[in-house]
Amino acid sequence: MPTELPYAADAEVSLSYDELDVLRLQHEKELAQAHVTIQTKFNYAWGLVKSPMREHQVEGVRLLQEIYRAEPTRRRECLYYLALGHYKMGNFEEAKRFNALLLEKEPTNLQAQSLGQLIDKGVAREGYIGMALVGGAAALGTILLATLVRRARR
Amino acid sequence: MAPTSHTKPASTALINCKLLLIGNSSVGKSSLLLRFSDEQWLPEDESSATIGVDFRVHKMEVKGKKVKLSIWDTAGQERFRTITSSYYRGAQGIILVYDVSNRESFDALPRWYSELETYVSNSVVKILVGNKVDKEFSRQVSTAEGEAFAKRMSSLFIEASAKTAIGVNEAFQEVVEKILDTPELWEGVKGTRGGQNTGNGRGGVPGGVQVVGLSDQQGQAQEGSCAC
Repeated sequence: MPTELPYAADAEVSLSYDELDVLRLQHEKELAQAHVTIQTKFNYAWGLVKSPMREHQVEGVRLLQEIYRAEPTRRRECLYYLALGHYKMGNFEEAKRFNALLLEKEPTNLQAQSLGQLIDKGVAREGYIGMALVGGAAALGTILLATLVRRARR
Repeated sequence: MAPTSHTKPASTALINCKLLLIGNSSVGKSSLLLRFSDEQWLPEDESSATIGVDFRVHKMEVKGKKVKLSIWDTAGQERFRTITSSYYRGAQGIILVYDVSNRESFDALPRWYSELETYVSNSVVKILVGNKVDKEFSRQVSTAEGEAFAKRMSSLFIEASAKTAIGVNEAFQEVVEKILDTPELWEGVKGTRGGQNTGNGRGGVPGGVQVVGLSDQQGQAQEGSCAC
């Protein structure tokens, strides 16, 4: 039986508070010494992006963008985690953009393909919610209007 | 019920099992998984190095029991080592992979075993897989040598080829059978949820700091991962 659903392992599981703290402390220590290694920065950014807290995700994405610019050899993983971070924050357009950049370089990358499907699903879900909201608003409007008309008639 | 070799679970019960693939980069961990789960193979120029970790769910029947495998396929590249170490906890089976046509990947095995010592309990089932036997003409590690090393490390052993599918199903089958036959891996497992007892809170991030009290988190993570 083949695996049925698209999946991004790193999107679902977050680190514990203590685990993230280990990465944060290492980053802070190196910041204080005025030399942060790319590895430390990347580890911390990865931990932040995995976090369920939005402020963590925002910070993670910011660090990843810095690494992307500074370190060409790390671009592929930065693109992947940038896409993942934006996906988690619901910025589907951004997520798509970064994932597309990765797929452009590696069209057969299964992880990127899977993440792409997740992003598309997110977009569709948002679409349904949007439609439901519009539909709901329309229904509410009709009810209000009907009430007003009825009152006016009285 | 806790599925052990003594108490047979009801035939409808799905047993959850967590497996982890580790080993040097380019030995074919993702290819073995792709062959096993999707019966596919990508040539070298079309396959890309795993970023961080990949994940697949696969259902199979072993000894008449339905087993749901969650298989974590870790990146072999050095720069993902911190990331991948966070996935060891809760694993019941470890598949260590080397490339029979690449001596270096075999010589690196002691390092992978020492990672296991740090992150998983002794009762976790290990299988050593010598991949790429289709490259017989450029073999650098003999079967006997692989077998002897596996024996020394108390691991199961098999040679395989993700390309030709030789030995691939057998590798997964054997590791799951052994897991089902290892009661220690199922102690304290509630319901049918797969063993979270193995990490013992040691599944932290390397760097000298051991993180405790992760078992609850792991339970949630596993439930989350099994929802698909």
